[in-house]
Amino acid sequence: MRSIAVGTSRYHHIVRALLVEDDATIADFVTRGLREAGFVVDHVADGDAGLSAAVGTPYDVAIVDVMLPKRDGLALIDDVRRRGIATPVLILSARRSVDDRVRGLQTGGDDYLTKPFSFAELLARVQALVRRASRTAEPTSLSVHDLTLDLLSRQVTRGGHAIDLRPREFALLEYLMRNQGRVVSKTMILSQVWKYSFDPQTNVVDVLVSRLREKIDKPFDKKLLQTVRGVGYVLRP
Amino acid sequence: MSSGPDSTRQPLLARAFGLRLALWYAALFVIGALVIAVVTYALIAISISQRDQQVLQEKVAQYAAAYRRGGLDVLAATVRTEQQVAPERLFVRVVDRGLDVLVLSSPEGWVESRLETATAQLEDGTIVQVGKSTDSRDDLLVRFGTALALVTLLIVAIALTGGWLVTQSAQYPIRRLALAVRHIIRTGRTDERVEIGNSGDAVDDLTRLFNAMLDRIEGLVTGMRGALDNVSHDLRTPLARLRGSAEMALAAPPDPRRDREALADCVEEVDRVLVMLDTLMDISEAESGALQLRREPTRLAEVVGRAVDLYRDVAEAKGVTLAAPEDAQAPDDRARDVIVDADRTRLEQVAANLIDNAVKYTPPGGRVEVTLSREHGRAVLRVSDTGPGIPPGEVPRIWERLFRGDASRAERGLGLGLSLVKAIVEAHGGSVDVSSTVGSGSTFIVSLPSSGEGNLSPL
Repeated sequence: MRSIAVGTSRYHHIVRALLVEDDATIADFVTRGLREAGFVVDHVADGDAGLSAAVGTPYDVAIVDVMLPKRDGLALIDDVRRRGIATPVLILSARRSVDDRVRGLQTGGDDYLTKPFSFAELLARVQALVRRASRTAEPTSLSVHDLTLDLLSRQVTRGGHAIDLRPREFALLEYLMRNQGRVVSKTMILSQVWKYSFDPQTNVVDVLVSRLREKIDKPFDKKLLQTVRGVGYVLRP
Repeated sequence: MSSGPDSTRQPLLARAFGLRLALWYAALFVIGALVIAVVTYALIAISISQRDQQVLQEKVAQYAAAYRRGGLDVLAATVRTEQQVAPERLFVRVVDRGLDVLVLSSPEGWVESRLETATAQLEDGTIVQVGKSTDSRDDLLVRFGTALALVTLLIVAIALTGGWLVTQSAQYPIRRLALAVRHIIRTGRTDERVEIGNSGDAVDDLTRLFNAMLDRIEGLVTGMRGALDNVSHDLRTPLARLRGSAEMALAAPPDPRRDREALADCVEEVDRVLVMLDTLMDISEAESGALQLRREPTRLAEVVGRAVDLYRDVAEAKGVTLAAPEDAQAPDDRARDVIVDADRTRLEQVAANLIDNAVKYTPPGGRVEVTLSREHGRAVLRVSDTGPGIPPGEVPRIWERLFRGDASRAERGLGLGLSLVKAIVEAHGGSVDVSSTVGSGSTFIVSLPSSGEGNLSPL
């Protein structure tokens, strides 16, 4: 059996994902990325094949491009929903207008991602969909290496030392710890910590990250919070 | 001019419309003419018959008197005398009680059906009758009827011609409009306009609306064309950098660390291109009116508060004081409740961009102040900084796309922030302004139409 990577281990079963995407390059990197994250991925390149796959196999999550040959993505989602299949769907689209997003979600999509996207963001959204569907029990504390975050008392300690964090720093750390081992992008942090849906093109994320790093990493030898240039940030044990 | 094919290839609808109009017109005219003809004919016929009847009544009274005076002989004498003088022959008949004809002039001519008759019954039961031939009257009526029919036909002809002419003249402005529209559609020249007549009628109104629609279409097309030009032009530089980084890495001998650096450069450059593309599209859409605004009553203080919140840490890290409305000791309560009808996200973008700029250009130890007020029924947002200020020569250009002042070149940024601010604010019906003094700072002012003040239910 395939080994399950950090990201999906808490589901205790193999997560099956269906990718319906006609662009070979995008399909290739999404498939590879998801497999590295522990998913079992089936890829089909058109809407009709997507429908028969979705009907024939119980997938945990589906990633569907809007512009597809034979049957477009929205029609595919509509057909799937009509057959009573509740598999959560992430829509991929090259169109970014609010109306397209609304239409996609109204058709039965669960989330919407605009091309071009960062793979980190796609992975985070896919995992959020799977998590939402499987309703895993909410943990009461998170830990990475010797860093612990208690979600109830909102206490953060590293190696037994209490660390005092401001609310935003706490929110960022919680987000990074929930996604430990996975890179999260600046856009994801902006929307998670500040609830900003657009990228104001600022250095606010860098400033917050460096302040958090100051508190959780600087006094310790092992650095947990790493910058992946061009992609984002990651907490690694 | 190629008006030939256009006027012959008149759309069926217009032709049908014109024909219908002409037919209605003609039909009403014809019906009117027929009614007049029939009524006239009837009136004439009745009045002639009445006149004859009157003459006959007089005659019969006269003859009856003669008969009463001297019997048949006197009557016969009277008739004879009269008939020598009278131009028209009358028929006279005297019938006694036993229905025997006693006196009869021209008995061969007494045909009841062709006579208008008058009858008088005497005291002894004798009946005196006078008849007048209707031949001449019928003849007159026939001639009159013929004349009337001819006149009616003439009227119908005039009606049809007139109907056609009236329709033509009524349709002329419409046809002229259609011609102009067709010309514009064929040539694709949206800068042409249809000349507006001066009759102030519905067609002029339609023409004006059509011109207004052309204005809007032209604005959209120009905006989109401008956006495409800008996009293709402005993306070349970052794409060149992108290509350069990748090519340099490929050309050099393999070195994992340098290759990773090059890849990171590429990703960052792509992200820049993406933001630039999105922002340029936003600006163009906002400028051309194609931007879809999800307007809702929004408390400006709330939106600005969120943007200030976003930059608090950045300002603090830089040592810049960021003073927001809620920090003030005695906040203008009325200003805090100013409501604008706006797209919340877009407005956040405006506030965030202005604060971002202010914090970016204010040196450590400086101060950025955000204030809200309500002035002359408008909601006004001011973002002041104690930065280097903008040289007077650059002030008009700071709102231009991709303009970067000398002082701003050192800072990261795309040179699109203020253009986006201006475009979004103007799409909301507001205006932007700046006052700046070199050496002491700048104040950016956004003024939006306010839809009042009040307490919105908390979200």
